[in-house]
Amino acid sequence: MPPIEPLKAGKNAVGVKAPHTMTERLLILLSRYREASIAVVAIVLVIYFQVGSDGGFLSPQFMSVVLRDTGRLGLIAAAEVMLMITGEIDLSLSAIFSIAPYVMALMSVTWGVPLAVGAVIGVLIGVLVGAINGIITVRFRVPSLITTVGMLFFLQGIVVSIYNSQPIVAPVEQPFNAIFGQSLYQPSDALLSWHGVTAFTPFLWTVLIVLALALALNRTTFGLHTIATGSNIIGAREIGVRADRMKIYNFMIAGGCAAFAGIINTAQFTSADPQAGSPFLTLQAIAAAVIGGTSLLGGSGTVIGALIGAFVVASLNNGLVMIGAQATVSDIYLGAAIIAAMILSIQVDRLRTRRRL
Amino acid sequence: MNTQTIPPLAADAPVVLEMSNISKSFGAVTALVDVSIKLRRGEVLALVGDNGAGKSTLIKILSGFHQPDTGTIVSQGKEVRFASPRDARAQGIETVYQDLALIGDLSVFHNMFLGREYHKRILGLNLLDNRKMREQAQIYLDTLGISIPSVNSTVDLLSGGQRQCIAVARSIYSSPKILVLDEPLAALGVRESAHVLGLIQNLRQQRQVSVILIVHNYNQIFEVCDRINFLHSGEVALDASTADTSEEELIRIVKSGLGRKAIDAAAAEVRPGIV
Repeated sequence: MPPIEPLKAGKNAVGVKAPHTMTERLLILLSRYREASIAVVAIVLVIYFQVGSDGGFLSPQFMSVVLRDTGRLGLIAAAEVMLMITGEIDLSLSAIFSIAPYVMALMSVTWGVPLAVGAVIGVLIGVLVGAINGIITVRFRVPSLITTVGMLFFLQGIVVSIYNSQPIVAPVEQPFNAIFGQSLYQPSDALLSWHGVTAFTPFLWTVLIVLALALALNRTTFGLHTIATGSNIIGAREIGVRADRMKIYNFMIAGGCAAFAGIINTAQFTSADPQAGSPFLTLQAIAAAVIGGTSLLGGSGTVIGALIGAFVVASLNNGLVMIGAQATVSDIYLGAAIIAAMILSIQVDRLRTRRRL
Repeated sequence: MNTQTIPPLAADAPVVLEMSNISKSFGAVTALVDVSIKLRRGEVLALVGDNGAGKSTLIKILSGFHQPDTGTIVSQGKEVRFASPRDARAQGIETVYQDLALIGDLSVFHNMFLGREYHKRILGLNLLDNRKMREQAQIYLDTLGISIPSVNSTVDLLSGGQRQCIAVARSIYSSPKILVLDEPLAALGVRESAHVLGLIQNLRQQRQVSVILIVHNYNQIFEVCDRINFLHSGEVALDASTADTSEEELIRIVKSGLGRKAIDAAAAEVRPGIV
């Protein structure tokens, strides 16, 4: 504490006490627990599909499909959330999603490199690409939208030119495949069997990483500085936050997450498709992030919300087909949901700041 | 704003800062010509002047953003050179800029401790000690007599005056020798200004931190400062003690024309301050 004699608190108090009204409390609650409102949406959706499919939606077999998609989308969505909080975005994640497992499979097939080693190298490639994206964005002041679109085409071009767009069949290695990307749950599986449990590992990895990111965001200096960077970059710099570094670190995290998601995907299909990650995957992930309560304005966001948002998107994609709708119908709902979520998010923010004294 | 009487500055209060003969040009534009200011411990000094008078340049030199072309800065008795804002901060000079550098999306207590967070180890992880920061922030704001709805509320929910107070409190937390406030009343209403003036008065009563206030208009801050320096066209046109000069006299002097000679002549009529 500084060497200042304490004054009698209250006597010379400056500032006024603001009463908390009900509306104010509700708005603060809504903005603080954005995850809660999207969780309600997810539950309603589950009930709707469960009833509509005569109980088929919540079967382990169907859930392993929904949760596989949730895991893939959620990991990329959470990575985008971290970037969106710093005020940036990465559209090259789908290309990283393709190139990392492709390199892993290629090394395994040509040099006999174990998949585990290849996976580590793949993730490192993702981190490196993220670092390059970050450095170009921060040092050369190229908007990240442009940097990463450039990177998207660049990487996509590389990965398809290696083998003329041919997929590589990745060798199945146990326990690598079981732990990182087990095949889907079969009707013959028992829920507590080895295969029955590991069918959900891709989703569990995502849960684990999302929880780690949530902890980093809300309980560490790293998270605090990430939020500060996106909320007020000039102010953050004046206080001594290394804002440029925070952005680069989050690009690296995003690249690593996308690479890991791609590796899980390849382990599941035992095949590395150079076009596994279409740019549509990144857009769906951004949709999941926005539906989950993260705005593109920077300064706030929730990775847990992104995971629930990913579940909503995956449920829509699969559930509508299950209850007999055309596969393309889900895009109509998705499009409407993105716009509605964004309007809600901005309105809550606006109301909230207007309520201030 | 409190009304208690402020004890006069001790006659033997040591000089904490002396900027002598500072000149600075930006290309063809001369921003400062041979400016000297002196600040004693616990003193509140107001730098007054119109746009382009050189206040901002002087302050940016003091806080290490600009380097002077000529002139010296003596801080706590030894000559210093600030290559960057970090150097100035290391010498105990904290500056609160007009933008306040507060993070709207973070809570008051996170803002207070941004860049110097408290941590605790849980399962080998270095996590934020939010409880400690919350408690410390509350105690500290109480000490300074600043009252806000809650240290948990995010800064974008606070009023302009409250934000200014939080920014000042954050700067004082690092125990600076000198606190520079850049236009602390800009864009604040009457009641809001009163909060900030009350805080400055609280600091002045304790006579621990020296304060430099940069303002457009001295009539708002006349009661909270010990000395007023007028800057005009890059020169100190007048250095007057508020104890010896009335507000009306100052107005007359300023209105009599802002050239140095005119001011000197007018000032001789009143009583020149300590130049």
